[in-house]
Amino acid sequence: MSPRDMSAEGDPDAALMLRVKEGDTDAFVELVDKYKQPVMNLVYRMLRDATEAEDLAQNVFVQVHRSAHRYRVSSKFSTWLFTIARNLSLNEIRRRSRHPADSIDAPHPEREDQKWHQYEDHKAASPPDQLLQGELETKIDAALADLPENQRMALLLCRQDELSCEDMAEVLGCSLSATKSLIHRGRETLKAKLKPYLRTGAWYETK
Amino acid sequence: MMNEPVYDNLREVSWRRKLTTSEELQLRAWLAAHPEAQADWEDEARLNEMLGLLPDAPVASNFTNRVLQAVEQEEVAEPQESHGSRMAWWRRLATKVAVVAIVVIAGFLSYQHFHAAHVRSKVAEGLVAVSTAQPVPGPDVIEDFDVIRIMPQLYVDEELLALLK
Repeated sequence: MSPRDMSAEGDPDAALMLRVKEGDTDAFVELVDKYKQPVMNLVYRMLRDATEAEDLAQNVFVQVHRSAHRYRVSSKFSTWLFTIARNLSLNEIRRRSRHPADSIDAPHPEREDQKWHQYEDHKAASPPDQLLQGELETKIDAALADLPENQRMALLLCRQDELSCEDMAEVLGCSLSATKSLIHRGRETLKAKLKPYLRTGAWYETK
Repeated sequence: MMNEPVYDNLREVSWRRKLTTSEELQLRAWLAAHPEAQADWEDEARLNEMLGLLPDAPVASNFTNRVLQAVEQEEVAEPQESHGSRMAWWRRLATKVAVVAIVVIAGFLSYQHFHAAHVRSKVAEGLVAVSTAQPVPGPDVIEDFDVIRIMPQLYVDEELLALLK
């Protein structure tokens, strides 16, 4: 059985990627359309800057296209894609830490009430305003943002339906137990920070 | 962590997705037997719901088109870049070859220079040794050579020696 047959049966995205490898633009568009939202969700909450997140998310897909000739069906496409997204996000965060003045849109860590800069694209579908402006969402965002990068990344990867714990471990480049430990510690920190909302049930009122 | 395989497994599943009906039933049964874990589970479930409240990040409607544009631009730029990078590679190689050649030639010339100097100094030392050597004695020194050579073989006149004494 050829790798292409295996991928077609096991991972339809890998089959699409093999078509991209052969120069099929439609297959590439299909992959971008399918994964642009999950990738944006990840990099947006890692970088906390909509404009930079959009640029970086585009770079992720450009990188996918550029590396298509090297693509091998050794793991799921989504794992490979999120590994690229993770690496580029961490590179950007490190670049920012070396040149802090470059990121003028990033919110001040001590100002929890500050809204993230929203990407101004008149054609873009605006997210639900009531959730964006809700106090609870701001608190969750702030609590997430305060987590160490690897814990935040692990928690955000948890939200990706297509990734199993093993896939997350592969993306994070650590063992399964270390991945679970990262998630657990991140969640414990979130629980401690959001305790008033968890205990009082105030969050129910915002739903 | 609770270190309870059933609970830990269901909790980990709940981190990633909603529990299925059968999983819910399994969890409820387990919690009924372990009421001390009820509060922990409630926090977990509420945190799951709170994280679920986070909205999707805004994605521009022209996102895909912009990706395709960026890919096209890269493909156009790539041949020029690859030609430029090939030229740069050749330039780097030529520079390295030139540096190596200069080092080798300089080494060879230095060796030649020092070798010639060494030979010259050896010749000079030889000349000095020759010029300062003691002159060979003339042939008159060995005028009585034959007599002296046979002297030990001559008969010793003991009586004459005694009389002389």
